[in-house]
Amino acid sequence: MAISIGIVGAGTMGAGIAHIAALNKCTVSLYDINEEVIRRSVERINFEMKRSVDKNKISDDDMKQALTRIKKRTNINDLDTCDIIIEAVLEDIRVKKDLFKKLDQIAHHTAILATNTSSLSVTSIAAATKKPERVVGMHFFNPVHLMKLVEIVKGAKTSSETITQTIAIAEKLGKKTIVTKDTPGFVVNRVARPFYSEALKILSENVTTVEEIDRIVKKSGGFKMGPFELMDMIGNDVNFSVTESMFQQFFNDPRFQPSHIQKQLVEAGMFGKKTKQGFYNYEEK
Amino acid sequence: MKKPVKSEKIKSKKVSASRSKPKTEKSKPVEVKQLICLLGDELLVKEYSAAFQEKGIAVQELKNLSTLKTSAKKITAAFELTLASNEQKEKNLQALDETLPENVPIISSSVTETILSQSKHSKHKHRFVGIAAFPTLLSNSLVELSPSIHTSKEIADEVKTLFDSIKKETAMVQDGVGMVMPRILCQIINEALFTVQNDVATPKEIDEAMKHGTNYPHGPISWGEMIGFANVVAVLDALYHSHHEERYKVAPVLRQMAIAGIFWKAKE
Ligand SMILES: NC(=O)c1ccc[n+]([C@@H]2O[C@H](COP(=O)([O-])OP(=O)(O)OC[C@H]3O[C@@H](n4cnc5c(N)ncnc54)[C@H](O)[C@@H]3O)[C@@H](O)[C@H]2O)c1
Repeated sequence: MAISIGIVGAGTMGAGIAHIAALNKCTVSLYDINEEVIRRSVERINFEMKRSVDKNKISDDDMKQALTRIKKRTNINDLDTCDIIIEAVLEDIRVKKDLFKKLDQIAHHTAILATNTSSLSVTSIAAATKKPERVVGMHFFNPVHLMKLVEIVKGAKTSSETITQTIAIAEKLGKKTIVTKDTPGFVVNRVARPFYSEALKILSENVTTVEEIDRIVKKSGGFKMGPFELMDMIGNDVNFSVTESMFQQFFNDPRFQPSHIQKQLVEAGMFGKKTKQGFYNYEEK
Repeated sequence: MKKPVKSEKIKSKKVSASRSKPKTEKSKPVEVKQLICLLGDELLVKEYSAAFQEKGIAVQELKNLSTLKTSAKKITAAFELTLASNEQKEKNLQALDETLPENVPIISSSVTETILSQSKHSKHKHRFVGIAAFPTLLSNSLVELSPSIHTSKEIADEVKTLFDSIKKETAMVQDGVGMVMPRILCQIINEALFTVQNDVATPKEIDEAMKHGTNYPHGPISWGEMIGFANVVAVLDALYHSHHEERYKVAPVLRQMAIAGIFWKAKE
Protein backbone atom coordinates (compact mmCIF):
# COMPACT_ATOMS: atom_id res chain seq x y z
CA MET A 1 0.00 0.00 0.00
CA ALA A 2 1.29 3.43 -0.94
CA ILE A 3 2.00 5.74 1.95
CA SER A 4 0.05 8.96 1.90
CA ILE A 5 2.13 11.96 2.97
CA GLY A 6 0.79 15.40 3.80
CA ILE A 7 3.16 18.35 3.63
CA VAL A 8 2.40 21.69 5.22
CA GLY A 9 4.50 24.58 3.94
CA ALA A 10 5.58 24.33 0.31
CA GLY A 11 8.76 26.42 0.53
CA THR A 12 12.32 25.19 -0.04
CA MET A 13 12.05 22.21 2.29
CA GLY A 14 8.40 21.32 1.69
CA ALA A 15 9.02 21.18 -2.06
CA GLY A 16 12.12 19.03 -1.55
CA ILE A 17 10.24 16.55 0.62
CA ALA A 18 7.34 16.40 -1.87
CA HIS A 19 9.86 15.74 -4.65
CA ILE A 20 11.45 12.68 -3.02
CA ALA A 21 8.17 11.36 -1.64
CA ALA A 22 6.53 11.39 -5.09
CA LEU A 23 9.55 9.73 -6.68
CA ASN A 24 9.43 7.01 -4.04
CA LYS A 25 5.83 6.16 -4.91
CA CYS A 26 4.07 7.93 -2.05
CA THR A 27 0.98 10.03 -2.65
CA VAL A 28 1.62 13.62 -1.65
CA SER A 29 -0.83 16.26 -0.48
CA LEU A 30 1.01 19.56 -0.69
CA TYR A 31 -0.46 22.45 1.28
CA ASP A 32 0.62 26.04 1.94
CA ILE A 33 -1.31 29.08 3.19
CA ASN A 34 -0.14 30.81 0.05
CA GLU A 35 -1.66 29.21 -3.09
CA GLU A 36 0.86 30.90 -5.36
CA VAL A 37 3.66 29.18 -3.39
CA ILE A 38 2.15 25.74 -4.09
CA ARG A 39 2.03 26.44 -7.82
CA ARG A 40 5.64 27.65 -7.90
CA SER A 41 6.70 24.76 -5.73
CA VAL A 42 5.31 22.17 -8.16
CA GLU A 43 7.02 24.04 -11.00
CA ARG A 44 10.31 23.79 -9.16
CA ILE A 45 9.85 20.07 -8.55
CA ASN A 46 9.14 19.69 -12.26
CA PHE A 47 12.35 21.55 -13.08
CA GLU A 48 14.50 19.53 -10.65
CA MET A 49 13.08 16.22 -11.90
CA LYS A 50 13.80 17.23 -15.51
CA ARG A 51 17.41 17.75 -14.50
CA SER A 52 17.50 14.26 -13.01
CA VAL A 53 16.06 12.90 -16.27
CA ASP A 54 18.75 14.76 -18.23
CA LYS A 55 21.39 13.22 -16.00
CA ASN A 56 19.82 9.78 -16.51
CA LYS A 57 19.13 9.40 -12.82
CA ILE A 58 15.43 8.76 -13.41
CA SER A 59 13.41 7.93 -16.52
CA ASP A 60 10.94 10.21 -18.22
CA ASP A 61 8.21 7.82 -17.15
CA ASP A 62 9.34 7.93 -13.49
CA MET A 63 9.00 11.67 -13.64
CA LYS A 64 5.55 11.69 -15.24
CA GLN A 65 4.19 9.20 -12.72
CA ALA A 66 5.77 11.02 -9.79
CA LEU A 67 4.19 14.31 -10.82
CA THR A 68 0.72 12.73 -10.93
CA ARG A 69 1.17 11.66 -7.31
CA ILE A 70 1.45 15.27 -6.08
CA LYS A 71 -1.92 16.80 -5.19
CA LYS A 72 -2.08 20.55 -4.65
CA ARG A 73 -4.19 21.24 -1.56
CA THR A 74 -5.60 24.62 -0.71
CA ASN A 75 -7.64 23.45 2.26
CA ILE A 76 -5.75 22.03 5.23
CA ASN A 77 -8.74 19.82 6.13
CA ASP A 78 -7.95 17.75 3.02
CA LEU A 79 -4.94 16.25 4.84
CA ASP A 80 -7.33 14.18 7.01
CA THR A 81 -6.54 10.87 5.33
CA CYS A 82 -2.72 11.15 5.38
CA ASP A 83 -0.61 8.51 7.17
CA ILE A 84 1.87 11.19 8.15
CA ILE A 85 1.84 14.99 7.99
CA ILE A 86 5.22 16.70 7.74
CA GLU A 87 5.33 20.34 8.71
CA ALA A 88 7.84 22.66 6.99
CA VAL A 89 6.54 26.17 7.64
CA LEU A 90 8.68 29.06 8.81
CA GLU A 91 10.86 28.64 11.91
CA ASP A 92 8.63 30.31 14.50
CA ILE A 93 7.48 28.52 17.62
CA ARG A 94 4.11 30.36 17.81
CA VAL A 95 3.24 29.57 14.20
CA LYS A 96 4.27 25.93 14.61
CA LYS A 97 2.35 25.46 17.87
CA ASP A 98 -0.83 26.95 16.39
CA LEU A 99 -0.45 24.73 13.36
CA PHE A 100 0.05 21.53 15.42
CA LYS A 101 -3.00 22.33 17.48
CA LYS A 102 -4.96 22.48 14.24
CA LEU A 103 -3.31 19.36 12.75
CA ASP A 104 -4.10 17.42 15.93
CA GLN A 105 -7.79 18.11 15.27
CA ILE A 106 -7.95 17.40 11.55
CA ALA A 107 -5.45 14.51 11.17
CA HIS A 108 -6.53 10.87 11.21
CA HIS A 109 -6.22 9.55 14.77
CA THR A 110 -3.40 7.14 13.84
CA ALA A 111 -1.44 9.65 11.74
CA ILE A 112 2.08 10.74 12.68
CA LEU A 113 2.69 14.47 13.00
CA ALA A 114 6.26 15.39 12.11
CA THR A 115 8.08 18.72 12.24
CA ASN A 116 11.09 19.65 10.12
CA THR A 117 12.28 22.24 12.64
CA SER A 118 16.04 22.84 12.76
CA SER A 119 16.33 24.65 16.05
CA LEU A 120 13.08 24.56 18.00
CA SER A 121 12.08 22.08 20.68
CA VAL A 122 10.03 19.17 19.31
CA THR A 123 8.77 18.57 22.85
CA SER A 124 7.41 22.09 23.01
CA ILE A 125 5.68 21.79 19.62
CA ALA A 126 4.21 18.43 20.68
CA ALA A 127 2.82 20.00 23.84
CA ALA A 128 0.37 21.98 21.68
CA THR A 129 -1.39 18.70 20.80
CA LYS A 130 -3.50 16.27 22.79
CA LYS A 131 -1.42 13.33 21.55
CA PRO A 132 2.26 14.28 21.98
CA GLU A 133 3.22 10.60 21.68
CA ARG A 134 2.54 10.76 17.92
CA VAL A 135 4.59 13.93 17.37
CA VAL A 136 8.16 13.53 16.16
CA GLY A 137 10.97 15.56 14.60
CA MET A 138 11.90 14.71 11.04
CA HIS A 139 14.87 16.89 10.22
CA PHE A 140 15.74 16.86 6.51
CA PHE A 141 18.72 18.67 5.00
CA ASN A 142 18.85 21.09 2.10
CA PRO A 143 18.75 20.21 -0.81
CA VAL A 144 16.46 17.37 0.27
CA HIS A 145 16.80 15.28 -2.90
CA LEU A 146 20.61 15.26 -2.60
CA MET A 147 21.30 15.03 1.15
CA LYS A 148 20.98 11.45 2.35
CA LEU A 149 20.26 12.02 6.03
CA VAL A 150 17.15 12.52 8.13
CA GLU A 151 17.46 13.10 11.86
CA ILE A 152 14.53 11.50 13.66
CA VAL A 153 13.98 13.48 16.83
CA LYS A 154 12.42 11.88 19.86
CA GLY A 155 10.53 14.41 21.97
CA ALA A 156 10.03 13.86 25.69
CA LYS A 157 6.70 12.11 25.06
CA THR A 158 7.23 10.62 21.59
CA SER A 159 6.33 6.89 21.65
CA SER A 160 8.79 4.27 20.47
CA GLU A 161 6.11 3.07 18.04
CA THR A 162 6.05 6.51 16.44
CA ILE A 163 9.85 6.40 16.15
CA THR A 164 9.81 2.96 14.50
CA GLN A 165 7.15 4.02 12.01
CA THR A 166 8.91 7.29 11.21
CA ILE A 167 12.20 5.46 10.56
CA ALA A 168 10.35 3.14 8.17
CA ILE A 169 8.82 6.09 6.31
CA ALA A 170 12.16 7.91 6.04
CA GLU A 171 13.72 4.74 4.66
CA LYS A 172 10.88 4.47 2.18
CA LEU A 173 11.91 7.95 1.05
CA GLY A 174 15.41 6.60 0.42
CA LYS A 175 17.04 8.25 3.43
CA LYS A 176 19.54 7.16 6.04
CA THR A 177 18.28 7.84 9.53
CA ILE A 178 19.66 8.46 12.97
CA VAL A 179 17.58 8.85 16.11
CA THR A 180 18.46 11.80 18.32
CA LYS A 181 17.21 13.15 21.61
CA ASP A 182 15.39 16.44 21.54
CA THR A 183 18.32 18.69 22.51
CA PRO A 184 19.29 22.00 20.83
CA GLY A 185 20.62 21.53 17.31
CA PHE A 186 20.08 17.75 17.53
CA VAL A 187 23.32 16.23 16.15
CA VAL A 188 24.27 17.83 12.85
CA ASN A 189 23.65 21.50 13.58
CA ARG A 190 25.27 21.12 16.98
CA VAL A 191 28.43 19.26 15.97
CA ALA A 192 28.79 21.53 12.92
CA ARG A 193 28.60 24.68 15.04
CA PRO A 194 32.39 24.91 15.69
CA PHE A 195 33.03 24.65 11.93
CA TYR A 196 31.53 28.15 11.73
CA SER A 197 32.15 29.57 15.19
CA GLU A 198 35.80 28.54 15.53
CA ALA A 199 36.52 29.88 12.04
CA LEU A 200 34.92 33.17 13.06
CA LYS A 201 36.95 33.18 16.29
CA ILE A 202 40.16 32.60 14.35
CA LEU A 203 39.21 35.44 12.00
CA SER A 204 38.44 37.72 14.94
CA GLU A 205 41.95 37.03 16.31
CA ASN A 206 43.44 38.01 12.97
CA VAL A 207 45.26 34.69 12.55
CA THR A 208 44.67 34.98 8.82
CA THR A 209 42.06 36.11 6.28
CA VAL A 210 38.63 34.81 5.20
CA GLU A 211 40.06 33.55 1.89
CA GLU A 212 42.98 31.83 3.58
CA ILE A 213 40.84 30.09 6.20
CA ASP A 214 38.57 28.75 3.45
CA ARG A 215 41.59 27.61 1.44
CA ILE A 216 43.14 25.88 4.47
CA VAL A 217 39.93 24.13 5.51
CA LYS A 218 39.42 22.77 2.00
CA LYS A 219 42.98 21.88 1.12
CA SER A 220 44.40 20.91 4.50
CA GLY A 221 41.23 19.47 6.04
CA GLY A 222 39.63 17.98 2.92
CA PHE A 223 36.25 19.66 3.45
CA LYS A 224 34.15 20.36 0.34
CA MET A 225 33.55 24.00 1.22
CA GLY A 226 35.22 26.55 3.49
CA PRO A 227 33.25 27.90 6.46
CA PHE A 228 32.89 31.41 5.06
CA GLU A 229 31.73 30.30 1.62
CA LEU A 230 29.26 28.04 3.34
CA MET A 231 27.93 30.76 5.66
CA ASP A 232 27.46 33.02 2.61
CA MET A 233 25.56 30.23 0.88
CA ILE A 234 23.32 29.38 3.87
CA GLY A 235 22.82 33.10 4.53
CA ASN A 236 24.52 34.92 7.37
CA ASP A 237 21.11 35.95 8.70
CA VAL A 238 19.97 32.31 8.94
CA ASN A 239 23.32 31.03 10.26
CA PHE A 240 23.54 33.79 12.87
CA SER A 241 20.00 33.24 14.11
CA VAL A 242 20.57 29.47 14.46
CA THR A 243 23.74 30.16 16.48
CA GLU A 244 21.96 32.73 18.63
CA SER A 245 19.07 30.37 19.26
CA MET A 246 21.40 27.53 20.23
CA PHE A 247 23.41 29.85 22.51
CA GLN A 248 20.19 30.77 24.33
CA GLN A 249 18.95 27.19 24.50
CA PHE A 250 22.27 26.07 26.00
CA PHE A 251 21.85 28.77 28.65
CA ASN A 252 24.69 30.93 27.32
CA ASP A 253 27.31 28.20 27.27
CA PRO A 254 30.39 29.95 25.77
CA ARG A 255 30.86 27.01 23.36
CA PHE A 256 27.97 28.42 21.36
CA GLN A 257 28.73 32.12 21.61
CA PRO A 258 27.77 34.02 18.44
CA SER A 259 30.32 36.22 16.68
CA HIS A 260 30.38 40.00 16.44
CA ILE A 261 31.79 39.77 12.95
CA GLN A 262 28.78 37.84 11.70
CA LYS A 263 26.37 40.02 13.67
CA GLN A 264 27.73 43.07 11.91
CA LEU A 265 27.29 41.47 8.48
CA VAL A 266 23.66 40.79 9.36
CA GLU A 267 23.18 44.38 10.55
CA ALA A 268 24.64 45.62 7.27
CA GLY A 269 22.27 43.41 5.28
CA MET A 270 25.24 41.43 3.95
CA PHE A 271 23.53 38.04 4.10
CA GLY A 272 25.77 36.39 1.51
CA LYS A 273 24.97 35.10 -1.96
CA LYS A 274 21.31 36.09 -1.86
CA THR A 275 22.16 39.77 -1.27
CA LYS A 276 25.29 39.59 -3.45
CA GLN A 277 27.47 40.57 -0.48
CA GLY A 278 28.67 38.73 2.58
CA PHE A 279 32.15 37.57 3.51
CA TYR A 280 32.71 37.68 -0.24
CA ASN A 281 31.46 39.98 -2.94
CA TYR A 282 29.23 38.32 -5.55
CA GLU A 283 28.36 41.37 -7.61
CA GLU A 284 28.89 40.93 -11.32
CA LYS A 285 31.73 43.03 -12.61
CA MET B 1 59.82 45.43 17.44
CA LYS B 2 62.48 47.09 15.29
CA LYS B 3 65.49 45.64 17.10
CA PRO B 4 65.02 41.92 16.51
CA VAL B 5 64.32 42.55 12.85
CA LYS B 6 67.62 44.39 12.55
CA SER B 7 69.64 41.72 14.27
CA GLU B 8 67.94 39.13 12.08
CA LYS B 9 69.24 40.87 9.01
CA ILE B 10 72.79 40.54 10.26
CA LYS B 11 72.19 36.91 11.05
CA SER B 12 70.76 36.11 7.69
CA LYS B 13 73.73 37.83 6.07
CA LYS B 14 75.99 35.55 8.03
CA VAL B 15 73.89 32.67 6.84
CA SER B 16 74.33 33.44 3.20
CA ALA B 17 78.01 34.15 3.74
CA SER B 18 78.69 30.78 5.34
CA ARG B 19 76.71 29.17 2.54
CA SER B 20 78.73 30.59 -0.27
CA LYS B 21 81.99 29.18 1.07
CA PRO B 22 81.46 25.68 2.38
CA LYS B 23 84.38 24.57 4.52
CA THR B 24 84.34 20.82 4.08
CA GLU B 25 83.80 20.20 0.37
CA LYS B 26 86.07 21.75 -2.23
CA SER B 27 83.77 23.06 -4.95
CA LYS B 28 80.28 22.19 -4.01
CA PRO B 29 77.69 22.82 -6.72
CA VAL B 30 74.76 25.16 -6.00
CA GLU B 31 72.42 22.17 -6.06
CA VAL B 32 72.45 20.88 -2.49
CA LYS B 33 71.36 17.31 -1.92
CA GLN B 34 68.45 17.42 0.47
CA LEU B 35 68.48 15.43 3.65
CA ILE B 36 65.53 15.84 5.97
CA CYS B 37 65.93 14.85 9.58
CA LEU B 38 62.79 13.89 11.50
CA LEU B 39 62.13 13.28 15.14
CA GLY B 40 59.16 13.31 17.49
CA ASP B 41 55.85 11.46 17.57
CA GLU B 42 56.01 8.19 15.71
CA LEU B 43 52.75 8.67 13.81
CA LEU B 44 53.76 12.09 12.47
CA VAL B 45 57.33 11.04 11.73
CA LYS B 46 55.95 8.19 9.63
CA GLU B 47 53.57 10.48 7.71
CA TYR B 48 56.22 13.12 6.98
CA SER B 49 58.90 10.58 6.22
CA ALA B 50 56.67 8.88 3.65
CA ALA B 51 55.65 12.18 2.04
CA PHE B 52 59.27 13.19 1.43
CA GLN B 53 60.53 9.79 0.36
CA GLU B 54 57.66 9.43 -2.09
CA LYS B 55 59.02 12.47 -3.91
CA GLY B 56 62.61 11.19 -3.82
CA ILE B 57 63.89 13.28 -0.95
CA ALA B 58 66.16 11.51 1.51
CA VAL B 59 65.09 11.39 5.13
CA GLN B 60 66.69 10.36 8.35
CA GLU B 61 64.39 9.29 11.15
CA LEU B 62 66.18 9.95 14.41
CA LYS B 63 65.35 7.47 17.14
CA ASN B 64 67.60 9.19 19.64
CA LEU B 65 69.70 12.30 19.78
CA SER B 66 73.08 10.57 19.93
CA THR B 67 73.03 9.86 16.19
CA LEU B 68 72.39 13.47 15.33
CA LYS B 69 76.04 14.59 15.53
CA THR B 70 77.32 12.19 12.86
CA SER B 71 74.95 13.43 10.15
CA ALA B 72 74.55 17.03 11.31
CA LYS B 73 76.59 18.53 8.47
CA LYS B 74 74.53 16.81 5.77
CA ILE B 75 71.12 17.76 7.12
CA THR B 76 69.35 20.48 5.12
CA ALA B 77 66.19 20.78 7.24
CA ALA B 78 65.01 19.33 10.54
CA PHE B 79 61.48 18.51 11.69
CA GLU B 80 60.59 18.22 15.37
CA LEU B 81 57.20 16.54 15.35
CA THR B 82 56.31 16.09 19.01
CA LEU B 83 52.80 17.41 19.23
CA ALA B 84 52.40 18.06 22.93
CA SER B 85 54.86 20.53 24.43
CA ASN B 86 56.89 18.55 26.93
CA GLU B 87 60.42 18.12 28.22
CA GLN B 88 61.40 15.75 25.44
CA LYS B 89 60.37 18.24 22.78
CA GLU B 90 62.37 20.94 24.53
CA LYS B 91 65.42 18.66 24.66
CA ASN B 92 65.05 17.74 21.00
CA LEU B 93 64.80 21.35 19.91
CA GLN B 94 67.77 22.34 22.01
CA ALA B 95 69.88 19.53 20.57
CA LEU B 96 68.89 20.40 17.01
CA ASP B 97 69.64 24.06 17.59
CA GLU B 98 73.05 23.34 19.13
CA THR B 99 74.13 20.70 16.64
CA LEU B 100 72.89 21.85 13.25
CA PRO B 101 74.62 24.66 11.34
CA GLU B 102 72.78 27.88 12.05
CA ASN B 103 71.35 28.26 8.56
CA VAL B 104 69.43 24.98 8.65
CA PRO B 105 65.70 25.49 9.21
CA ILE B 106 64.11 23.85 12.24
CA ILE B 107 60.47 23.18 11.55
CA SER B 108 58.56 22.31 14.68
CA SER B 109 55.00 21.27 15.34
CA SER B 110 53.47 24.38 16.88
CA VAL B 111 49.93 23.21 17.39
CA THR B 112 50.05 23.23 21.19
CA GLU B 113 52.68 25.94 21.76
CA THR B 114 53.62 28.95 19.65
CA ILE B 115 56.89 28.79 17.75
CA LEU B 116 57.88 32.03 19.46
CA SER B 117 57.64 30.35 22.83
CA GLN B 118 59.42 27.19 21.63
CA SER B 119 62.37 29.19 20.31
CA LYS B 120 62.65 31.70 23.12
CA HIS B 121 65.87 30.22 24.57
CA SER B 122 67.50 29.60 21.22
CA LYS B 123 70.52 31.47 19.96
CA HIS B 124 69.19 31.16 16.41
CA LYS B 125 65.57 32.19 16.67
CA HIS B 126 65.54 33.18 13.02
CA ARG B 127 65.53 29.58 11.79
CA PHE B 128 62.47 28.31 13.63
CA VAL B 129 59.25 27.82 11.69
CA GLY B 130 56.02 26.45 13.17
CA ILE B 131 53.99 23.84 11.33
CA ALA B 132 50.47 22.48 11.79
CA ALA B 133 51.83 18.94 11.99
CA PHE B 134 48.74 17.03 13.00
CA PRO B 135 47.91 13.40 12.22
CA THR B 136 45.84 12.73 9.05
CA LEU B 137 46.27 16.23 7.57
CA LEU B 138 49.38 15.57 5.46
CA SER B 139 47.39 13.32 3.14
CA ASN B 140 45.78 16.51 1.82
CA SER B 141 47.35 19.09 -0.48
CA LEU B 142 48.14 22.02 1.81
CA VAL B 143 50.48 22.55 4.75
CA GLU B 144 49.99 25.34 7.27
CA LEU B 145 53.11 27.13 8.47
CA SER B 146 53.65 29.86 11.03
CA PRO B 147 56.83 31.89 11.27
CA SER B 148 57.51 33.68 14.56
CA ILE B 149 58.29 37.39 14.66
CA HIS B 150 62.00 36.37 14.65
CA THR B 151 61.87 34.05 11.66
CA SER B 152 63.91 35.37 8.74
CA LYS B 153 62.37 35.70 5.31
CA GLU B 154 65.11 33.49 3.87
CA ILE B 155 64.26 30.63 6.20
CA ALA B 156 60.50 30.99 5.65
CA ASP B 157 61.05 30.96 1.89
CA GLU B 158 63.32 27.96 2.10
CA VAL B 159 60.69 25.96 4.00
CA LYS B 160 58.03 26.99 1.51
CA THR B 161 60.28 25.84 -1.36
CA LEU B 162 60.86 22.54 0.40
CA PHE B 163 57.09 21.91 0.41
CA ASP B 164 56.79 23.11 -3.19
CA SER B 165 59.24 20.37 -4.07
CA ILE B 166 56.89 17.70 -2.70
CA LYS B 167 53.88 19.35 -4.40
CA LYS B 168 52.27 20.76 -1.27
CA GLU B 169 50.78 24.22 -1.18
CA THR B 170 51.59 26.25 1.90
CA ALA B 171 49.64 28.83 3.89
CA MET B 172 51.42 31.21 6.26
CA VAL B 173 49.33 32.02 9.32
CA GLN B 174 50.00 34.01 12.49
CA ASP B 175 51.84 32.19 15.23
CA GLY B 176 48.98 31.08 17.50
CA VAL B 177 48.07 27.90 19.38
CA GLY B 178 46.01 25.47 17.30
CA MET B 179 46.76 27.39 14.08
CA VAL B 180 43.73 27.03 11.76
CA MET B 181 42.79 23.48 10.76
CA PRO B 182 43.76 21.61 13.95
CA ARG B 183 41.91 24.21 16.00
CA ILE B 184 38.63 23.96 14.06
CA LEU B 185 38.90 20.19 13.82
CA CYS B 186 39.53 19.64 17.53
CA GLN B 187 36.57 21.82 18.43
CA ILE B 188 34.33 19.77 16.12
CA ILE B 189 35.57 16.52 17.68
CA ASN B 190 35.07 17.96 21.15
CA GLU B 191 31.46 18.92 20.37
CA ALA B 192 30.83 15.45 18.91
CA LEU B 193 31.95 14.00 22.24
CA PHE B 194 29.86 16.41 24.28
CA THR B 195 26.99 15.08 22.17
CA VAL B 196 27.98 11.51 23.11
CA GLN B 197 28.36 12.58 26.72
CA ASN B 198 24.83 13.99 26.73
CA ASP B 199 23.56 10.75 25.19
CA VAL B 200 21.93 12.60 22.30
CA ALA B 201 22.89 9.83 19.87
CA THR B 202 25.46 7.02 19.67
CA PRO B 203 29.02 7.65 18.44
CA LYS B 204 28.26 5.65 15.31
CA GLU B 205 25.14 7.66 14.57
CA ILE B 206 26.98 10.94 15.12
CA ASP B 207 29.65 9.94 12.59
CA GLU B 208 27.00 8.85 10.08
CA ALA B 209 25.10 12.09 10.59
CA MET B 210 28.11 14.31 9.90
CA LYS B 211 29.07 12.40 6.79
CA HIS B 212 25.59 12.34 5.28
CA GLY B 213 24.02 15.49 6.75
CA THR B 214 26.93 17.85 5.96
CA ASN B 215 29.39 15.91 3.75
CA TYR B 216 32.30 15.87 6.23
CA PRO B 217 35.26 13.86 4.90
CA HIS B 218 35.22 11.62 8.01
CA GLY B 219 32.91 11.16 10.94
CA PRO B 220 34.36 13.35 13.72
CA ILE B 221 34.70 10.57 16.28
CA SER B 222 36.49 8.12 14.02
CA TRP B 223 38.61 11.06 12.82
CA GLY B 224 39.52 11.72 16.46
CA GLU B 225 40.47 8.09 16.82
CA MET B 226 42.79 8.34 13.78
CA ILE B 227 44.39 11.50 15.17
CA GLY B 228 44.64 10.05 18.65
CA PHE B 229 42.30 11.39 21.32
CA ALA B 230 45.27 12.40 23.49
CA ASN B 231 46.43 14.70 20.69
CA VAL B 232 43.00 16.28 20.42
CA VAL B 233 42.95 16.90 24.17
CA ALA B 234 46.46 18.37 24.03
CA VAL B 235 45.34 20.98 21.50
CA LEU B 236 42.16 21.85 23.42
CA ASP B 237 44.01 22.15 26.72
CA ALA B 238 46.59 24.39 25.07
CA LEU B 239 43.80 26.60 23.67
CA TYR B 240 42.16 26.68 27.07
CA HIS B 241 45.38 27.88 28.66
CA SER B 242 46.30 30.38 25.98
CA HIS B 243 42.83 31.94 25.91
CA HIS B 244 41.43 31.36 29.40
CA GLU B 245 38.10 30.74 27.77
CA GLU B 246 35.50 28.17 28.72
CA ARG B 247 34.68 27.48 25.08
CA TYR B 248 37.76 25.23 25.00
CA LYS B 249 36.78 23.05 27.96
CA VAL B 250 37.23 19.38 27.14
CA ALA B 251 34.29 16.96 27.19
CA PRO B 252 34.94 14.66 30.18
CA VAL B 253 34.37 11.56 28.06
CA LEU B 254 36.98 12.79 25.56
CA ARG B 255 39.50 13.14 28.37
CA GLN B 256 38.74 9.57 29.46
CA MET B 257 39.21 8.28 25.96
CA ALA B 258 42.52 10.11 25.74
CA ILE B 259 43.73 8.31 28.84
CA ALA B 260 42.36 4.89 27.94
CA GLY B 261 43.57 5.33 24.37
CA ILE B 262 40.48 3.56 23.11
CA PHE B 263 36.99 4.23 22.04
CA TRP B 264 34.63 4.92 24.89
CA LYS B 265 32.20 2.04 24.99
CA ALA B 266 28.92 3.86 25.00
CA LYS B 267 25.70 1.92 24.66
CA GLU B 268 25.49 1.15 20.96
N1 LIG C 1 16.20 25.77 4.43
C1 LIG C 1 16.95 24.89 5.06
O1 LIG C 1 18.13 24.73 4.77
C2 LIG C 1 16.34 24.05 6.14
C3 LIG C 1 16.97 22.83 6.48
C4 LIG C 1 16.38 22.02 7.47
C5 LIG C 1 15.23 22.43 8.09
N2 LIG C 1 14.65 23.64 7.75
C6 LIG C 1 13.39 24.00 8.45
O2 LIG C 1 12.32 23.78 7.57
C7 LIG C 1 11.27 24.70 7.81
C8 LIG C 1 10.93 25.42 6.52
O3 LIG C 1 12.06 26.06 6.00
P1 LIG C 1 12.15 26.57 4.50
O4 LIG C 1 13.56 26.97 4.26
O5 LIG C 1 11.53 25.61 3.60
O6 LIG C 1 11.26 27.90 4.56
P2 LIG C 1 10.52 28.68 3.38
O7 LIG C 1 10.43 30.09 3.82
O8 LIG C 1 11.14 28.38 2.07
O9 LIG C 1 9.06 28.05 3.35
C9 LIG C 1 8.12 28.19 4.38
C10 LIG C 1 6.71 28.11 3.78
O10 LIG C 1 5.76 27.99 4.82
C11 LIG C 1 4.57 28.67 4.42
N3 LIG C 1 3.78 28.93 5.63
C12 LIG C 1 3.99 29.84 6.60
N4 LIG C 1 3.07 29.73 7.55
C13 LIG C 1 2.25 28.72 7.19
C14 LIG C 1 1.11 28.12 7.78
N5 LIG C 1 0.63 28.54 8.95
N6 LIG C 1 0.52 27.10 7.12
C15 LIG C 1 0.98 26.68 5.95
N7 LIG C 1 2.07 27.21 5.35
C16 LIG C 1 2.69 28.21 5.96
C17 LIG C 1 5.08 29.89 3.70
O11 LIG C 1 4.12 30.41 2.82
C18 LIG C 1 6.31 29.34 2.97
O12 LIG C 1 5.98 28.93 1.67
C19 LIG C 1 11.76 25.60 8.93
O13 LIG C 1 11.30 25.10 10.16
C20 LIG C 1 13.26 25.46 8.83
O14 LIG C 1 13.90 25.70 10.06
C21 LIG C 1 15.18 24.42 6.78
